Amino acid sequence: MSADKETLFKQLADAVVDMDEDQAVTTADAVVAAGLDAYEAIEKGLSAGMERAGQLFDEEEYFIPELLMCSDAMYAGMDVLKPHIRQDAVAEKRRVVIGVIQGDTHDIGKNLVKIMLETSGFEVTDLGRDIPPARFVDAAKEIKADIIALSTLMTTTMDGMGEVVRQLNDQGLRDKFKVIVGGGPISQGFADRIGADGYAINAADAVRLARRLTSPDVAAA
Amino acid sequence: MGEDKMKPLERLSAYGKGETIDRLPCVPIVGNTAARVIGVKVGQFRGNGPLIAQAQIAAYQLFGYDIIRIFTDLYTQAEAMGAKVHYPEDETAYLEAPAINDLAHLDRLQPADPYRDGNLPHHLEAIGIAVDRLGTEVAVTGAITCPFTNASFLVGAETLARLMLKEPDKVHRLCEVSLETCLRYAAAIIDAGATPSLTDAMSSSTVISPRQFREFSLPYLKRLMDFIHGKGKGATLHICGKTAKIWESMVEAGADCLSIDNDASLTEAKLAVGERVRLMGNIHPSAVMLQGTPADVRRATLSCIREAHDNPKGLIVASGCSLPTETPFQNIAAMMETVRAVGWPVRF
Repeated sequence: MSADKETLFKQLADAVVDMDEDQAVTTADAVVAAGLDAYEAIEKGLSAGMERAGQLFDEEEYFIPELLMCSDAMYAGMDVLKPHIRQDAVAEKRRVVIGVIQGDTHDIGKNLVKIMLETSGFEVTDLGRDIPPARFVDAAKEIKADIIALSTLMTTTMDGMGEVVRQLNDQGLRDKFKVIVGGGPISQGFADRIGADGYAINAADAVRLARRLTSPDVAAA
Repeated sequence: MGEDKMKPLERLSAYGKGETIDRLPCVPIVGNTAARVIGVKVGQFRGNGPLIAQAQIAAYQLFGYDIIRIFTDLYTQAEAMGAKVHYPEDETAYLEAPAINDLAHLDRLQPADPYRDGNLPHHLEAIGIAVDRLGTEVAVTGAITCPFTNASFLVGAETLARLMLKEPDKVHRLCEVSLETCLRYAAAIIDAGATPSLTDAMSSSTVISPRQFREFSLPYLKRLMDFIHGKGKGATLHICGKTAKIWESMVEAGADCLSIDNDASLTEAKLAVGERVRLMGNIHPSAVMLQGTPADVRRATLSCIREAHDNPKGLIVASGCSLPTETPFQNIAAMMETVRAVGWPVRF
């Protein structure tokens, strides 16, 4: 890496960690003007910054407000860089369908998981909140998802998560998708009981889980 | 089901003075499960104070716990200030849209009139009925959503989160008008003969930092608590999720009892603040109370008691948070039975 390039990527990462939208845009513009590879800038700049933000969240230095602001800066930089990505530079991305299960409209947790997954190179289709089980299954088939990610904050809607797994079983599709669950009332025990592939305790953990489940040896198992 | 030798008010009063009691106070925090006790749909509680009272009274009489709390959902004050709440036919209501979508409309927000706006009058009616019927034997409380959490329902949680970092003065303006609603509702609850019971979900360190809590939530909580104390009442403050780093501040706010959930440790809380406040908690509402067996409930209840029965300011054995609507009756009964069997002084 040339010093210039390195400096710009570091500035991008810092802009994200510092929650500085304007700086993210200015630096992204500079990356484009310098003719640097946009995909690399996203990976080594914006995503690296978001990863650091995630670490700070894990360490309880950052909380949900900070993480939201970091993601605002990341998306601002992304908007500048995206149109400049060369198609051949893009690796095949793992796909995730995410949403909050029917009956629940709390979506802060889901939004954070989505942000962290996107940052980590997953292509995320966000169905939104209050989503019936069948829509998850349909969407996963449609986009050929690798993972179905289900979220709820309410105990009243947890059964809907089991229903997604049941529908996959009924349609003979269970081995096509990994199902991961999370949210306030969810536990590893609950995930095991409904036959999900994994449970994540928070957004950073969801990324680790998604990576593990889509790593070649696990995916093939 | 076992019989208690003392009535709840008698028990709490004697416990507070260090006198002889029959068992520890115990509160499985029953919310809309009360609808199941009288066989009505949760949605029927909307706008129906007498039905809320009937259900909560019946649940109290069935299980024999120590506090009747009039509560249906966290959104009653926000709704009374213009937020849109969705009422499913038979599930707990949820926030559909905040009171304002555009911060330019911040000045339009007005404090609610608890005797006129939204469902607050119906909750007050329910409180009045419960106090009339049972006020001499059991404490009746009215649930208040605290200023900061209620503010998050006025503009939306994510908007409020960003505002804390971008435009802190606007957060303070929101909390100020939110506090005014809380104060008026607290006054009305006390006038109805009950005690406010405070819930502040968004103040959790699972959501905001301890520093943000001290800046944006604590000052308003303290004013609310001072008001309640000024009326001669004590108050329990419930914050779910991680709370260890804000226990000091919760005590500083003036809470008389900290209600914590299973993301926090009763043992640690006892060591940190047990000399100054009573503790309440912390059996897992979903993993144990909803999904566990009575034997699981018994184990969890015993572990709670072991952890904090010797808390200097006392312990109320409780679920970590409001129970899910479909919590099996036998699990609620198992919690009560375990506390009765352990008795006081505790015998394991």
